[in-house]
Amino acid sequence: MKKYLFSFIITVLISTVLFAGEGKKFGKEISTKESTQISEILNQPDEFLGKTVLIEGTVLNVCKMRGCWMEIASDKEFESIVVKVEDGEIVFPMEAKGNKASVEGVFYAVEVEEENHEHKEGETCGEEGESCIHKTKKYLIKGLGAEIQM
Amino acid sequence: MKWRKLNKILHRDIGYALVALTIIYSISGIAVNHINDWNPNYIIRKDTITFTPHKEFIPNKEKAINYLVSQLDLGEKIRESFRPDSASVQLFLEDQTIVANLVQGRAIIESVESRSVFRETNFLHLNAPKKLWTYIADIFAFGLIVLAITGLFMLKGKQGFGGRGKWFVLGGILIPIIFLLLYFQ
Repeated sequence: MKKYLFSFIITVLISTVLFAGEGKKFGKEISTKESTQISEILNQPDEFLGKTVLIEGTVLNVCKMRGCWMEIASDKEFESIVVKVEDGEIVFPMEAKGNKASVEGVFYAVEVEEENHEHKEGETCGEEGESCIHKTKKYLIKGLGAEIQM
Repeated sequence: MKWRKLNKILHRDIGYALVALTIIYSISGIAVNHINDWNPNYIIRKDTITFTPHKEFIPNKEKAINYLVSQLDLGEKIRESFRPDSASVQLFLEDQTIVANLVQGRAIIESVESRSVFRETNFLHLNAPKKLWTYIADIFAFGLIVLAITGLFMLKGKQGFGGRGKWFVLGGILIPIIFLLLYFQ
């Protein structure tokens, strides 16, 4: 019995080592060969909507609670993009901040409603002093796979 | 072998084998259950400090970084930097992240520390490793079912399922049913 138990424990340990993740790769293996600059994507978003892209940049922020998104710096100043993943599917670690990342994912847009007290020229949205609701597009990448240089 | 003896052996040995996993899943279960009240994976510290504001925007990134470094008297090596907007600079040091508004003269220094034990248990409980761990978790879940069923028939007589045991089992069944009736939509 002891012999069987010992064999079982050894098998589990060896399998764990063999099948363990590399620790720096997240989600699916990256298959896109050429990367696209984030500035290029954000400059002509309509061209990239629904397409799978590979982006590269520094990780600026990571979701603190669930690791379900991370913000990647663009090659241009003052510009970044958020990579969102399904909760639990991929978990980005907070240690990723400040490290270079390659992310493959689908570029998409969501409509965001923003409340603004300053009326645009010629705009009427209610009584004087009332806020306007502006609909703006926010661009994101649905992350499929990532590699972070940690 | 009599079925009750086999039942006892199964319950005992599966119980031994699942002790570690049960504790891991339970610790993480409690931790993740309260995710709205605390961060179960990290201890995040944020300190806000002030420094002499720069009167105007600094268009050059290097100059902006140099100004911030001189103001905060940073000795650590800067790994990476970024400008989120024309007034701000974000610096990544070895163990800290600094986000500073140069015009307002305010910086937030954030340090992140892994919450040991909880982070490891959450990693396993939430199946972050995927791959082989998925099957280990499946076996564990099946083992718990076997433990629950064999547990019913461990004792005979007054202390057994036929005696007081059935009332405890009934109570355990009623708890989820009551909550489903109250909250399930």
